[in-house]
Amino acid sequence: MAVVNKKASTYAFKIIAYTFCLLLTILSLFPFVIMIVNSTRSTGEIQSHAISFIPGSNLKANWNVLMGRGFDPFAGFRHSLIISVGSTACNVYFSTMTAFALVAYDWKLRKPFFTVIMAVLMIPAQVTSIGFYQFMYKIHWTNNYLPLILPAIAAPATVFFMRQYMIPSLPMEILQSARIDGAGEFRIFNQIVLPMMKPAMATQAIFSFVMSWNQLFMPQILITDMEKYTMPQMVSLLNGDAYRTEYGSVYLGLFLTVVPILIAYFILSKYIIEGVALGGVKG
Amino acid sequence: MKTKLKGISYSKYGYLFSIPFVVAFLIFTLYPTIYTATLGFTDCRGVMGPDNYKFLDHPFEIFKSVLENDSFRLSLKNTIGIWVMNFFPQITIALLLTAWFTSHSNEIRCKGFFKVVFYMPNIITAATVAILFKALFSYPTGPVNDLLVSTGLRDSSYYFATNKTAARLIVAFIQFWTWYGNTMIVLISGVLGISPDIYEAAEIDGANGVQTFFRITIPNLKTVLLYTLITSLVGGLNMFDIPFLFLNGGPDRATLTTSVYIYNQAFAGSYLYNKAAAASMVMWVIIALCSAVLFFVMRDKDQIKLDKELKKAKKEAKRVAKGGADQWQW
Amino acid sequence: MKKALSVISAIALLASSVAATGCSKKDEGTTTKDGKTVINLWTFTDEVPGMVKKFMATHPDFDAKYEIKETIIPTTDGNYQPALDKALQGGGADAPDFFCAEAAFVLKYTQGDMSSYAAPYKDLGIDVDNEIKAADIAQYSVDIGTNPSGDVVGLGYQATGGAFIYRRSVAKAAFGTDDPATVSEKIGGGSGSWDKFFEAADELKKKGYGIVSGDGDLWHAVENSSDKGWLDGDKLYIDPKREEFLDLSKKLKDNGYHNDTEDWGDAWFADMKGEGDQEVLGFFGPAWLINYTLAANCGGEAVGEGTYGDWAVCEPPIGFFWGGTWLIANKDSKVKDAVGQIIDWITLDCTQDGLQYMWANGTLNGEGGTKDCVASGTVMAMSDGSLDFLGGQNMFDVFVPANQFANGKNLTQHDEKINSLWRGQVRQYTAGNKSRDDAIKDFKQEVADTLDIQS
Repeated sequence: MAVVNKKASTYAFKIIAYTFCLLLTILSLFPFVIMIVNSTRSTGEIQSHAISFIPGSNLKANWNVLMGRGFDPFAGFRHSLIISVGSTACNVYFSTMTAFALVAYDWKLRKPFFTVIMAVLMIPAQVTSIGFYQFMYKIHWTNNYLPLILPAIAAPATVFFMRQYMIPSLPMEILQSARIDGAGEFRIFNQIVLPMMKPAMATQAIFSFVMSWNQLFMPQILITDMEKYTMPQMVSLLNGDAYRTEYGSVYLGLFLTVVPILIAYFILSKYIIEGVALGGVKG
Repeated sequence: MKTKLKGISYSKYGYLFSIPFVVAFLIFTLYPTIYTATLGFTDCRGVMGPDNYKFLDHPFEIFKSVLENDSFRLSLKNTIGIWVMNFFPQITIALLLTAWFTSHSNEIRCKGFFKVVFYMPNIITAATVAILFKALFSYPTGPVNDLLVSTGLRDSSYYFATNKTAARLIVAFIQFWTWYGNTMIVLISGVLGISPDIYEAAEIDGANGVQTFFRITIPNLKTVLLYTLITSLVGGLNMFDIPFLFLNGGPDRATLTTSVYIYNQAFAGSYLYNKAAAASMVMWVIIALCSAVLFFVMRDKDQIKLDKELKKAKKEAKRVAKGGADQWQW
Repeated sequence: MKKALSVISAIALLASSVAATGCSKKDEGTTTKDGKTVINLWTFTDEVPGMVKKFMATHPDFDAKYEIKETIIPTTDGNYQPALDKALQGGGADAPDFFCAEAAFVLKYTQGDMSSYAAPYKDLGIDVDNEIKAADIAQYSVDIGTNPSGDVVGLGYQATGGAFIYRRSVAKAAFGTDDPATVSEKIGGGSGSWDKFFEAADELKKKGYGIVSGDGDLWHAVENSSDKGWLDGDKLYIDPKREEFLDLSKKLKDNGYHNDTEDWGDAWFADMKGEGDQEVLGFFGPAWLINYTLAANCGGEAVGEGTYGDWAVCEPPIGFFWGGTWLIANKDSKVKDAVGQIIDWITLDCTQDGLQYMWANGTLNGEGGTKDCVASGTVMAMSDGSLDFLGGQNMFDVFVPANQFANGKNLTQHDEKINSLWRGQVRQYTAGNKSRDDAIKDFKQEVADTLDIQS
């Protein structure tokens, strides 16, 4: 009796769970479908019915409009890629390094330093933006990718995440034996610690890459030279036409913007599927 | 956590490895923050403001006017309201999915696929999301309105963008929709970090799925939950992109969040840098207080561990001070 | 440790190399690889860059010496002004040599906070007073572009006096004729009041038509026909004509005289194609609205397709103007003479080789381009504004007299922001969400909070 009951409830659970997940799947994929479909439709079609699942035949026309507006996706890709890869690398590498300093070594200022990191995490972005922006103009770092890359070195949220991951998963014994073998601390970090941190780094890399790729506010203010525009800036140019918005090509542009992140995401997604073990509880 | 080998102190590497972070932090965060913070005490406003300003005779004048400002108060209320509306469904659903995807007794097939897909809304630029949702809820003809009218739920189109509650709900929904996948991934990471031994023990004791989740998963997830709560709180109270791009704080200031308010003060119009700076600092204090409360509420176990660490660190410090041949001078 | 140092130094080297490419051009009077001098142009659409390209093509000597570097930042995300202001203040090689400003914020750069950066046209080598007379430039364009010390620092190329632009088929169905004079008579053209307009709206409603698409259409007519702008000194001022917009908007909505669309929204564009809930008679707007917006969204490119050819213009009940772009030179520019030549060609050259003639006759990019009203009366007199889009009507017949209503007296530098706040509150009132008094009260509060302008 009890067994039958359990089976029935398992069935009920499965139906509910799968229905719910399916619903969320539709909700999550919906914008991608709309983007792809709309990039094949004409502006008129989109204006009268913004949402449709039937592709149109305007892909080529939209592409031409896109090209005609000085939209150079390859240059855009390149610029966005330099910024995103640079800042993601800085973010992940230096955050792991900072987390390593926090976990592996005992030093006097460790505790206060961690507190500072947590406090930095809470500073609203808008607070620093005014000062940051004035500062960059003063040192003439406009039209330069560095102010969009280097701040990623100090990414408190990533440090926090890395620290959480490192505490249970980095056995100090390995460090000790490496030291006995005569390895320097820097080599230990690069050759032993980094490979062990790969899953956590991949997860954070996804988060960081996506954020960097999509940012518009700072590039818009700091990069004014059109030859250095990033992908999102180019799309905003399409969207900002004073008289008429070419929706078809805007969607095509948006879709082109999202393709590289999708690729990067799918490459790293195995770490999302497998999951990253994270927690302060040791076995 | 021994870091000493044969009497050599490795603590200097702790400092060494933190240098990049500290340097970048000093240049790109601390300096701009202090700069901004001081602006709140000055008469810095207008296009010429940043080149030519002086400190006020009454240093807290601007802070006072910001705190008394009707729009600022409203924006604070909106921000908290929208965050609460988005956060609770978000954490609930993220936890639910986490429980399902990490369940030992009820294996869900294709969970890898679901995990990958659920994160996908987070990939799209806020600008795209705003355009999409604007199109969805457009008036008088839009997909949602078409649906409402054609199914007979409403006689005529509904003007979503003029209704305050509707606008807030839509913004909260967008926030929920973009971030639940992210939260879920972090939470799953936390659950995977819990030792399987504990689950085995629970299974032997005959605990069912629900019991295991509440008795084992949640308590052991504390640090990760804390991380989620803090990052979500900070992100939520700084909510800018969607409210700004979707309806630019409207209708009738219903989706005016504090960040949009700060942005408007600083960049859209009169360049009231000092007011924006003061509002920013007020926000920081609020966020820091909320986080402190969270830390306090979720302290217990961590606190004990921290105390232990502190004691050890003190001992260590003493030892280093005594023998410090290889000390790193800070 | 050594390795750490080498990595750090490598990063530093990389950093400095990237920085170097960004900063190497800090010297004034930048030159490109092939020895040309760079002129920086900042704008928010590709309209002026297109003109400048034409200028370069027709002036090979100039083209050999200079290269234009354009920066286009759309106004939609509100980033154009902050970036422009910063660039002007920052100076250096990336600073604009000349830039564009739209009617909604031009006063900031000619008379307001940023006016100290604007170079008088006479310092650019332009004989401005005489040329303005010769070209017969619309007075309002000159007024707006004159700085507090009386120097002309900015001029536009368009004349943006407005008309009522209506659908011939709707007019025929509702009034029995599509003749501009009769339609104008019906809507009270030139009467200076909205009474007849609403009578016409009622007549149209009975036949199943709307008179306009949304209240925004009326707003531009109301806004720029008011006696005073949003500011009186440094206080907020609500002109009675602008306050009356609350009632006009409510009347339109309550009676269903329009499709309740928002300007620049999808439904607004749909009405241009005649695909809204009810077909609407027309739109209020200047010549540019016809060519860039109506024609682009009518659903066709030749007579018979969409609503192409189904349009006509007539005198509006109240004279008004809407929009326009002004060209302003940076006083710190090192290439003032060159900038002066371009600006002169765009804003003051009234020969057939000047921009305005090509702009008015649609010949900038070859025959058959879009025609627009231009600021020079001299050019207008020798131009032909007949359009197939308007069923062959010569639009200049209506727009030239309309331009006399345009004046720069009711603009302020904060119009863009204040207008959006005002329209938001009007929408709340017409939707029935709050009382008229509350709408005004909240509007004042919002203006005070966002702009620090008290009432």
